Amino acid sequence: MSLRRRLTLSLFTILILFAVNVGTHFWGSYARSESMVAYRNSVEAGQRSTEIEQLLDNQWQQIQVLSTLRDTTDDQLEADELLQAESEVNTITSRIRKLGSMSHDITQLHYQKLWQTSGQLLTAWMDFYRNYNDPEFKIDLNIATIYKDTSMRLEELAQRQDFIAQQRANIIDRTIALTDRITVIGFLSSIFLTATLGFFLVRFTNLSLKRLRTGTERFGSGDLDYRIDNIDDNGELGDLARAFNNMSDKLRNAIYDVQQAKDTADDANAAKSIFLANVSHELRTPLNAIIGYSEMLHDEMDDEGEVDRVQSQTDLSKIILSGRQLLSLINDILDLSKIETGKMSLHCETFKPDEVLTEVCDSLTPLLRDNNNTLKLSDFDQLPILYNDVAKFRQIFVNLLSNACKFTENGYISVSARKHDERPGWVQFSVHDTGIGMDAEQQSRVFEAFIQAESATSANYGGTGLGLAICRDYSKLMGGTIEVVSEAGSGSTFTVTLPTDPELALEGA
Amino acid sequence: MTGQRPILLVEDNELNRDMLTRRLKRAGLEVIAAEDGQQALDLMRSDSPSVVLMDMNLPIKDGWTACREARLDENINHIPIIALTAHAMEADRLAALEAGCDDYATKPVDFPGLLIKIGKLCK
Repeated sequence: MSLRRRLTLSLFTILILFAVNVGTHFWGSYARSESMVAYRNSVEAGQRSTEIEQLLDNQWQQIQVLSTLRDTTDDQLEADELLQAESEVNTITSRIRKLGSMSHDITQLHYQKLWQTSGQLLTAWMDFYRNYNDPEFKIDLNIATIYKDTSMRLEELAQRQDFIAQQRANIIDRTIALTDRITVIGFLSSIFLTATLGFFLVRFTNLSLKRLRTGTERFGSGDLDYRIDNIDDNGELGDLARAFNNMSDKLRNAIYDVQQAKDTADDANAAKSIFLANVSHELRTPLNAIIGYSEMLHDEMDDEGEVDRVQSQTDLSKIILSGRQLLSLINDILDLSKIETGKMSLHCETFKPDEVLTEVCDSLTPLLRDNNNTLKLSDFDQLPILYNDVAKFRQIFVNLLSNACKFTENGYISVSARKHDERPGWVQFSVHDTGIGMDAEQQSRVFEAFIQAESATSANYGGTGLGLAICRDYSKLMGGTIEVVSEAGSGSTFTVTLPTDPELALEGA
Repeated sequence: MTGQRPILLVEDNELNRDMLTRRLKRAGLEVIAAEDGQQALDLMRSDSPSVVLMDMNLPIKDGWTACREARLDENINHIPIIALTAHAMEADRLAALEAGCDDYATKPVDFPGLLIKIGKLCK
């Protein structure tokens, strides 16, 4: 549950409890005041009943006296005395009517009975007073009974009123006790709920915050794989934890990327340093011969006596040879550097690959003869015309064939070419030799600059160790690939796969 | 200088071997030459040269290995060895000294400097 929901729920619960308390208070007050009014009514009605009883009693005694007086004497009563008596009876009637307005449902029945009997009684009394002076008038003999009934009914009503008043008083007491109890319970529940909710809210928030803090600390101290797990909370703190994990993922990836970029840069830097050291080494070897022979010739010229012209010429030609070797080395290095900085471009033209290959093979005849190798050319008739950089094409095969001649003695070197079986528009050229070959480890590194399969190889066979690196880069530049298949001791096959048009390679990519 | 015991030049590159042999001879030294590390060790044992000029990049057995083996062989471990190499970095000099060489000279060779080094070690 979210933090907001928890807070809202807590607030609502407390508000409801508060409302219950306020409601109880108002209900209690209302119930009390209602009962109080009823109680007061009952009490007042009781008082009035007593008053009426008093009045009835007085009147009854007066009537009894007057009745006896009328029977025993012939005295007539004055009109105003009679009027006075009638008004007294009317007063009683109005009092009883008033009592009726104060009676309610529970006492209604008793009152009606009272109203009936009292009506009879008062009517009889009224007749008595009105006809008092009429000698013919006989007093109703039932009047005493009716009076008794009325008194009894009045008594009953009064008792009823008392009973109701008592009942109301009880209800008031009960209401007060109940509201007090509800108020206390509501108050205690509010305190308990507030404390409990507060406790859980703080505890829950603390736990979530603690996990977040642990995550931040762990991640900050370099544990990039640390994540906040078991996020079962769908609220704000859960969102925060998920956002933290998300951020951690992105940061870790960014850090890995930077690390990788740094490693790549370091590798490239190290490779450059190694390259530079190799360049320095390769330049020094021919320079050693050039400087050494030059100094020697210089010294010989200083010497007295005849200079051996034939010997000097031989020495000079060695200087020239080393100089040329140095030049070709520098050219190779520049080419390689141009390719690797992306400054080498293709100069495409249409040419017949078979003609170029034949030309290259012819130019390398002296080299073939050195190690007593035999060259075999396959049938090139079916070859398509290529549209590519012919100079780079030539260079690739000069390098491959020179290597083949260098690493093969008394063996065979063959050059073959054919259309690619599966890729229309592509041609495969192979240079195969029966020379010293390479093991798997050597093959994996053979296209790197300054690598000759064995460090001692260069000493044996010479060369700069750049030829195959150039072949690799040129093949790539021309849209193709170069691969080697070889076995230590039984020769190597270098296969160059080229498109008839460099555009083909772009389409394939 | 010594007159009796020759200098052993170990160098696989034909031009450099020819050139250095002739220059050392012109400087009045007797020179024998080897083309690889194994040949060098054999000649050290058989001819007991006064000093060895050793190229490090050698076929069959490279200069560093040859040096280490020479230092372990009681019969020839007294013969001083000067490393002669186109590896010109400080790390290369240390690698040569660590392999047991007594001195170190880079190619292209400063010939008068080399003669001084030879002179020092032949004393």
